[in-house]
Amino acid sequence: MPVRVSPARRALVYLLLALASLAVVFPLLLAFSYSFMSESEIATYPPPLLPRAPTLDNYARVIATIPIGRYLVNSFVVSALVVLGQIITASLAAFAFVFLEFRWKTALFFIFLSTLMVPWEATIIPNYMTIRDLGWLDTYQGLAVPFMATAFGTFLLRQSFLQIPRDLRDAAVIDGAGPLRLLAMVVIPLARPALGTVAVYGFLSTWNQYFWPLLVTNQTLMRTTQIGVVQLRFEETLRWGLLMAGVMMIALPTLALLVLGQRQLVRGLTAGAVKG
Amino acid sequence: MTFPVGRATRRLAIALVFLAPSLVLFAAFVFVPLTRTLYISLFFTTPTGRLAAFAGLEQYVELLTSALFRSGILASTLFALYAVPFGIALALLLAVLANQRLRGINFFRTLMSSTIAVSAAVGSLLFLMLYNPSLGLLNYLLSLLGLRGIAWLQDPGSAVVSLSVTTMWLVLGFNIIVLLAGLQGVPEELYEAAKLDGASGAMLFFRITVPLVSPFLFFLLVVDTIQVLQAFTQIHVLTRGGPVDATRTIVYSLYLDAFQNFQFGFASAQAFVLFLIVLVLTVLQFRYIEPRVHYQ
Amino acid sequence: MRRTLTLVTAFVLAAAACGGGGPAGPGEQAGKAPDKSVQPASKIVFWHSMSGVNGDAVNRMVENFNKSQSKITVEAIFQGAYDDSLSKLNTALASNSAPTIIQVFDIGQRFMIDSGEIVPVQAFVDRDKYDTSDFEPAVINYYRVQNTLYSMPFNSSSSILYYNKEAFKEAGLDPEKPPKTFEEVTDYAKKLTKKDASGQTVRYGFHQSIYGWLFEQYMAVSGALYADNGNGRDARAGKVVFNDAKGKTILDWWKAGVDGGYFWNPGIDNDGSANAFNAGKSAMYVESTARLRGHINATAGKFTIGTGRYPRPANAPADGGNIIGGASVYIMKSRPAEEQQAAWEFVKFIASPPTQSQFQADTGYYPIRKAAYDEGPSKEWAAKYPQFLTAVDQIRQAPQNRATNGAVIGVFAQARQRIQKAIEEVLLGKSSTKDALDTAAADVNAAIDKYNKTTK
Repeated sequence: MPVRVSPARRALVYLLLALASLAVVFPLLLAFSYSFMSESEIATYPPPLLPRAPTLDNYARVIATIPIGRYLVNSFVVSALVVLGQIITASLAAFAFVFLEFRWKTALFFIFLSTLMVPWEATIIPNYMTIRDLGWLDTYQGLAVPFMATAFGTFLLRQSFLQIPRDLRDAAVIDGAGPLRLLAMVVIPLARPALGTVAVYGFLSTWNQYFWPLLVTNQTLMRTTQIGVVQLRFEETLRWGLLMAGVMMIALPTLALLVLGQRQLVRGLTAGAVKG
Repeated sequence: MTFPVGRATRRLAIALVFLAPSLVLFAAFVFVPLTRTLYISLFFTTPTGRLAAFAGLEQYVELLTSALFRSGILASTLFALYAVPFGIALALLLAVLANQRLRGINFFRTLMSSTIAVSAAVGSLLFLMLYNPSLGLLNYLLSLLGLRGIAWLQDPGSAVVSLSVTTMWLVLGFNIIVLLAGLQGVPEELYEAAKLDGASGAMLFFRITVPLVSPFLFFLLVVDTIQVLQAFTQIHVLTRGGPVDATRTIVYSLYLDAFQNFQFGFASAQAFVLFLIVLVLTVLQFRYIEPRVHYQ
Repeated sequence: MRRTLTLVTAFVLAAAACGGGGPAGPGEQAGKAPDKSVQPASKIVFWHSMSGVNGDAVNRMVENFNKSQSKITVEAIFQGAYDDSLSKLNTALASNSAPTIIQVFDIGQRFMIDSGEIVPVQAFVDRDKYDTSDFEPAVINYYRVQNTLYSMPFNSSSSILYYNKEAFKEAGLDPEKPPKTFEEVTDYAKKLTKKDASGQTVRYGFHQSIYGWLFEQYMAVSGALYADNGNGRDARAGKVVFNDAKGKTILDWWKAGVDGGYFWNPGIDNDGSANAFNAGKSAMYVESTARLRGHINATAGKFTIGTGRYPRPANAPADGGNIIGGASVYIMKSRPAEEQQAAWEFVKFIASPPTQSQFQADTGYYPIRKAAYDEGPSKEWAAKYPQFLTAVDQIRQAPQNRATNGAVIGVFAQARQRIQKAIEEVLLGKSSTKDALDTAAADVNAAIDKYNKTTK
């Protein structure tokens, strides 16, 4: 939208922005507020907005109830492993689709894309049987390996690689660089925004997983954060404050990551634009 | 783009080396399981998961003729119809709003895209709190306005809407990020030129913005539809498939049959059918909607 | 491509080979207890579904056991809610990584028996001539099927009426006289419902969440069977029978209350239902006895809680009574004899009066032994929460028969969920009570047929 705006118009835009942002972020703000309230304060009507006597009890209780530190570590390790795997597999695959000529390139690309259309639910039952057969229940590899290939990431990187100027590529080839050198020295550095995007998206998706870790981990100590949250629910006595404190502790790292990565994300998606 | 290697087979071999890591993982965790699902769906199974007797296509017939399947299709369809187009439209409006060159705009952008950092489980719990008919904020706000509270999760019609709203919220962050990227690819000069010609705000939006952002709109249509049709957590936390199976989508039925009722054979048939449905739907989207997308 | 095809085929065959397994063997292959001379293993694994306060109680129990002797160490692991835990058990059994002893919810009884994967507790009881005469009849009879005790009761609760004494006084009702019958509940609820100037209901008289367990309790106090063949206890259940006149009475009463505007409908959200009572949104409600302490804590300073017997129809026969709910622990057959032996030692510890008494004080569940009530923690608890006396009297005075012992069917989780759908249909006016129950019964019967086909 155009540049020159009157102060009145600017104020209006800021107001709209503030209202819209508030509306979107409201549930999170509420959770934040509730996390400092006691049970009997929450179980009142009309529903309270701000705590009258803020307390850190809920946070203390979360730490005492579930091994949240361990859960955060597990989620972090698994997410990092997945991101690492995805960057490697997607870069290699996208490179092949962009820089190499070979038979059945289109068919293979379509096979990649088709995995996006297979709902995870259609494969989850056999998948946990596979992980079980491999003896990978309750392991980081069991949690991470199935997600280390990504058609979405491959697709995105392909778009990004396609935007690298021909002359740069040709120059490197003439210098005698083999495919791997080309990939490492020329392509990857230029595709950093897109790689950042794949990394952030992969990290967040893995961090937010609930069902797969639920199935594949039996040991509490191998569990991940989203399971921890749901664990706070199954009590004979409902404690919303406790639950909200847990939610906050788990959402905050990802929110921090979002703040850091948000610029990366937008830039990356522009560079790897889905223009067909 | 051609790499100066020799014969075609050698080129294919090299390419396969690059594709191998992805292909092996896809084979192991997508295609083989899919085939195995198909295999299991042809058997009756015991509650502990062992194959009991060959069923052939019997479980498919039972599934496709069951009332629950029909209501599941309806639930999934309604859910997608409510959540996807409105979610994208809302995201577009917000992205346009956030596409200004103003001071501190990144702060607002971060806030608006914050839902991407919230998992389905967490988001659903937050909304469960809001939807509580007697203690939840939503009904309280309504009562302040003198309106009756809505049975958000207890009435079949509202339950689908409530579920859709929750899903829209969860996907909003992702949608906004994608659309922001798209909007930034629209050249300023186009707007300048149009304004000089006397175009109004609405015209600018519909004649310039939407067409040029359409590749991203299409991308979101495909991706969001797939996500919504596979959504499980929100249903599990908020409605458990009810009330009266109104939110019992195919995915949720699949969950219940596999993990509550322990009918693995039947669940596998449902899983395979779900796969086919999403596949067909995506192909249809590419065939009929993509041609209307405006590529530069 | 051809090479890929061959690879894929090989994969498929391999995948089909492992995990597929052959046709199922006979359903009941209950294990035998190991010989008395077998030395107990030094470490066993215990899967449970207790979190929060109850999780602490379990951990305390396990710690006490581990400290009380030096031969066996029990490792307790929380495995999510009951249904998640059971799913996981299935996968663990198939990969030979089952726990030694696992807590399974009450309605999973038939499933566990049919799995052929357990060593019935009875085997140990018989071998060691373990005395079970002191066990609470209502509790132990639930878990005894055809005279065999398959599991050891672990945490037991029932359902009672909770009410707000101040609200009673306000409405001119005697706060020491809770309603006993459906008709009285209706009557009281009408008096307790409060509306404001604009006609909005500020407080309802009564509410109950759409929870299949509550319906099962209503059937039991009405003296009605849930399933045939003696509630599935004389022989394997062939069909459900809850679509009789007694089931209809329950739903008719429920619907009339909701339609009349004095029963509130919280839907399926049990926690929301409990919270609404705490917040004073309704004056009476029914739920598990295990929630008592939580309620007292949440309402301290707001209002006084009273407890009453679970309501029943006025014309209910004298032999109606409440069922026990909760969970029990099973010893798994696939584990080595040494582990089973160690598990039995732990089970005996669980069942001992001091442990039971402490567990009651920590959680609010019924002790499974009568002698536990004489122990210190139980006495303190009784003094602190006199309201619990209602719950104790209720199960002590319940006659023991097939109806009050509860049903045993393999598809109970499905049945319970199907009943919830029937209740929703009735309350939303989408179906008459008779039709709703009939179609529910038909669906559940179809499921039972399927179940029985693969487990015979």
